[in-house]
Amino acid sequence: LTALDFVLLQLLQHTHINLYRSTMAPFRTHNQQQNSRNAAGGPGLAMMPPIIHSSEGPVMAKADTIDHGVTEAPYERGFSPYEFNGGTTLAIAGPDYAVVAADTRLSSGYEILSRDVSKLHALTDRCVLGSAGCKTDVDQLRSVLDIKQKIYHHNHRKQMSTPSVAQMLGNTLYYKRFFPYYAFNVLGGVDAEGKGAVYSYDAIGSFERTPFSATGSGQAYIIPLLDNVIGHKNRADEKRELPAEEVVEIVKDAFVTAGERDIYTGDSVEIMVITAEGIQTTTFDLKRD
Amino acid sequence: FKFNDGIIVSVDSRSTMGAYIASGTVKKVIEINPFLLGTMAGGAADCSFWERNLGVQCRMYELRNGRRISVAAASKLLANTMNSYRGYGLSMGTMITGWDETGPQLYYVDNDGTRLKGKYFSVGSGSTYAYGVLDSFYRDDLTVEEAIDLGRRAIYHATHRDAYSGGINNLYHVTKEGWKKIHAIDVNDMHYEFAEEKKNSMSS
Repeated sequence: LTALDFVLLQLLQHTHINLYRSTMAPFRTHNQQQNSRNAAGGPGLAMMPPIIHSSEGPVMAKADTIDHGVTEAPYERGFSPYEFNGGTTLAIAGPDYAVVAADTRLSSGYEILSRDVSKLHALTDRCVLGSAGCKTDVDQLRSVLDIKQKIYHHNHRKQMSTPSVAQMLGNTLYYKRFFPYYAFNVLGGVDAEGKGAVYSYDAIGSFERTPFSATGSGQAYIIPLLDNVIGHKNRADEKRELPAEEVVEIVKDAFVTAGERDIYTGDSVEIMVITAEGIQTTTFDLKRD
Repeated sequence: FKFNDGIIVSVDSRSTMGAYIASGTVKKVIEINPFLLGTMAGGAADCSFWERNLGVQCRMYELRNGRRISVAAASKLLANTMNSYRGYGLSMGTMITGWDETGPQLYYVDNDGTRLKGKYFSVGSGSTYAYGVLDSFYRDDLTVEEAIDLGRRAIYHATHRDAYSGGINNLYHVTKEGWKKIHAIDVNDMHYEFAEEKKNSMSS
């Protein structure tokens, strides 16, 4: 091909595209150009029907104006595979125990779907996973982790240690890097030496062992409180070691605080205390408003 | 940065989700194996996962070839991985460093497959501030104490001026025998130390 041929080829392709554009509605091709290599994944674009069903009711689309009537009748384009079901979880590590707690409210939008749904799940008898976010992703993640944990148990004839569970959870989350589990996790347990271990995660699997952690909708209300009381930040008095009973009281206070200011947190709190001997569960009621 | 007696790797420890500080204690230096270090900038999960994966590949190389992998090869493995995921939205800016048969080596590897060899790099949101300090005082023939001090100051100035940097300065020194962690100093403490120093030098 000579250079001239190449130019002619380009011209042909260009005219072809121009023809295409004039026969279709401008809206659709615009969308198709935008939809290249969308890293966020998920299903693609919605088709544009002549009648739009907005939150106010069905509205005729004004296809001749430049924004196709969007400013006059806003509508939801597309479909999102995720939903936020709310809730808050927290975990605190002590010298020989770990406390993991989560509220039990399941919400969707402004509605409360249930007041009695557990967000905590014991993966081994020495570690508990607390997850807030999208309930279906949380359930699926738990199933996957349970299966992997069982296979490990069959292969190695012993239960997984908490740091191993932590790494496995991190990897499991990262394998779905391009269509993530919408689950905000906190892992609490005792490690092989019997010391309390808490791991905090982000949605795609970056994790870190921390002295305490909170995730979910009430995260921003609880963590500053824990920074002060457990992390002993910005305090003048001497730092002292806290026994498990006192930490449980602090956890109850933390959830009362979060429940006051966060609509998705409330109803009741499930608290699990994990020691080398096992797991003890208690429930504490919160305001149901 | 690289100097005659090895490599200094100095990082901060803040991780942010938007304007919220998710953690002030992140380990941004990833110990790939006792001779290779990688740093973390960009997406935390991307960095930690792919550098751990790099550790696996380095170990496989050792088993297959009976000797340790060179830093050039290790950084190339990572850069090729990044290249194959180009366009998928990974975010990673890392420096792979170690001491192999050719001496101390430092490579910068990026999520779009960039791989650069160099004497010193500064990566991340506060990199420009660190470059200012590094460019002004870097020399090949620094002593180990001077080099550690330089690494410390560069990070301090970056955390002082950049809102997205802060926490604790973790500093490592890579030598022929492998890497060694030198210190983990809170940058707030460094602030008061340098303020004292400035006051003393002003008055003298």
